[in-house]
Amino acid sequence: MKKIMAVLFFLFFAVPPADASDSMHARFGDEALEVQMAADDSVDADFEDDFEDEKEAIEVFDPIEPVNRAVFRFNDKFYFYLLKPVAKAYRGVPEPVRVSVANFFSNLFTPTRFVNSLLQLKIRDAGNELTRFLVNTTVGCAGFFDPAGRHARWTKKEEDFGQTLGRYGAGGGVYLVLPFLGPSNVRDGIGLLADGALNPIYYLGISDGAKVGLRAYYSVNAVSLDKDTYESIKKESLDPYLFIRNAYSQRRAGLIKK
Amino acid sequence: MLQKLLLILSAIFLFGQMDIIVAAPTPRVQVQRTVDAVIGILQKKDLDRDQRRNALSNVIRQRFDFRAMSRRTLARNWKKATPAERDQFVELFTELLEATYIGRIEAYSNERVVYDKERIRKKKAIVDTHIVTPSVEIPITYKLQLKGEKWLVYDVVVEEVSLIRNFRSSYGDIVKKEGFSGLLAKMETKIRELKNSREAKQEK
Repeated sequence: MKKIMAVLFFLFFAVPPADASDSMHARFGDEALEVQMAADDSVDADFEDDFEDEKEAIEVFDPIEPVNRAVFRFNDKFYFYLLKPVAKAYRGVPEPVRVSVANFFSNLFTPTRFVNSLLQLKIRDAGNELTRFLVNTTVGCAGFFDPAGRHARWTKKEEDFGQTLGRYGAGGGVYLVLPFLGPSNVRDGIGLLADGALNPIYYLGISDGAKVGLRAYYSVNAVSLDKDTYESIKKESLDPYLFIRNAYSQRRAGLIKK
Repeated sequence: MLQKLLLILSAIFLFGQMDIIVAAPTPRVQVQRTVDAVIGILQKKDLDRDQRRNALSNVIRQRFDFRAMSRRTLARNWKKATPAERDQFVELFTELLEATYIGRIEAYSNERVVYDKERIRKKKAIVDTHIVTPSVEIPITYKLQLKGEKWLVYDVVVEEVSLIRNFRSSYGDIVKKEGFSGLLAKMETKIRELKNSREAKQEK
């Protein structure tokens, strides 16, 4: 285990920031400025179209692309042969119930959001999460409802350890497609492991099989609520693998900035 | 004396206002007009599929600058392409985007569109909106450029992901591996696939 961690750490610190846009030490001088400006004033940064001149497209560092593509195909089969049929059957359950389940899980993941907001010195966001948790657990009946979310001030803000690492300058590292979990990279993969420690499910006195089952249920519920996104991407993009790879990097970069 | 002063002040004030009245409506207003027009077309029950498609296409082409989007998508490859190749790409790209998104728009079923803030800097603007569904809120941001009096969209950002940046990355990769003609061939195939699947859906 220790050896694997050492290798992973080497990979993401040694390798040049893969997706330069999510590293503070960005590629070109003026774009480094753009990233810093984004931290203070998003208005200016959003107006800088980094493709105004024919600058090189932001390429995600993907040296193990054949392996990633293979896992991608595997995940695709898993989705169509297992996840989708189960989600389809489960869709018989009325939507409000499934939305409530999603809320419940989301509420459980408060520690992750809370701790990572603190780590990034986003005190107000951390306080927000605490408020949300209190309100949703009491008024929202153990988290099945999200009354807090109805107030603009208290909307949920996704934070995880991968974002914390990114905020402090870690580049994404090598792009990874994880079995079952989908697109990731070395930094965010490590983030997932670290966040596991903050997940209440880990500490329940239940068997490992039950924990996997809960995680699977979370996915089935999520897919039942959003059946279109993945299939639309498959249907519409010229190359779904490339689309998802790029969308993932952009999304992470955007989340880290926020 | 005071009256004269007041008269002059009101004249200045009024002429100042005229400036605002005469100037082009703000980007957010223009986006809203297009979205309303689209919703209007979707709600008309007496149009057949082709009429509706054409109507939607017309409204959309007036708000989206497909040539600008093409140039930004191809980036370096645009510079390398001949004028004929560029025109070919613009045509295919336009068709591809329409085939993709008009289908999605038609699946729209009264989700609420909320207009948030707009930011303007000289001839560029950013309009934030979001769509409200029972389970989630989807933020959609439009990036616009001023051409004359009209604000035209040159990029759409959904959940932090810029469409044009995404196309640029994917298409760039495809051009690297299969050349420009390879890209065009893939686009033509995809357009055909999308049109066929729509035909199939209609026949059901």
